[in-house]
Amino acid sequence: MMPILFLSGDAMTDVFLLAAAVFMLLATAMLYRVIKGPSTQDRVLAVNVLGTNTVVVLALLGAGLDVPSLLDIALVYALLNFLMSVAISKFTVEQGGVL
Amino acid sequence: MISAFEAALFVFVLTTALATALLRDILAVIIVFAAYSLGMALFYAFLLAPDVAMTEAAIGAGVTTLLLLLALVKTSRPDLDYWLERPNISALVVFGALLVVIISTLGEFPAVGTADAPIWENPAVTQYYIENAYSDTHVTNAVTSVLAGYRGFDTFGEAVVVFAAGIATLLVLHREVFTRE
Repeated sequence: MMPILFLSGDAMTDVFLLAAAVFMLLATAMLYRVIKGPSTQDRVLAVNVLGTNTVVVLALLGAGLDVPSLLDIALVYALLNFLMSVAISKFTVEQGGVL
Repeated sequence: MISAFEAALFVFVLTTALATALLRDILAVIIVFAAYSLGMALFYAFLLAPDVAMTEAAIGAGVTTLLLLLALVKTSRPDLDYWLERPNISALVVFGALLVVIISTLGEFPAVGTADAPIWENPAVTQYYIENAYSDTHVTNAVTSVLAGYRGFDTFGEAVVVFAAGIATLLVLHREVFTRE
């Protein structure tokens, strides 16, 4: 990996992976709202935050591990995350319709 | 050595898996299961298997959630007086015994990236595929040439199974999907 600013390549890898770890900790904290609820709206919103979090973590992993193809997965997730939230929201509003 | 990222991911996946097993509200379980799938996709990405992570993203978070929601539409979602499942003690004992057996086998796995992993025991085979895959099959992707060329009959059998499952699903759903006007 290329050195950026005054940090060596290895240090930059560590910074990226550490940032990903911090984001994972935040995601774990967000799990409280997913599990406890109490309403479905709370859960949908929390899972949406988790999805956005996952996109960021995937991008950080792609930079940290030097695997640019992880960015493709991040894009797929960004699109699917939206779809999932819409489906669950639609299910809650009009019981019976998902698609 | 286990990194900070892996540790955080372990906690995340374990929590979501436990919540999926223990929550009573089905809609909540579907949502938590989507979160579990997010964590697993991150695991696959971290272990440098982007294709598996991509599949987990598409199937786990997208299709499975929609499928379970559709199933929920067709069935009912009872009102519950308690929100956590009460664990079944005898089932827990069986599960614990199974867990001990599975964990006892973990030590036998070769570490990631070691030179004495079974796959390197016979390097001539790996080398043969790398050198001759294109001239034998004229497929530029070596993985595809192994799957569809060298192991063609195996893959054909799998395709037959998937095709049969698709036909069976269509037959079962026929009454409900295609005759409703």
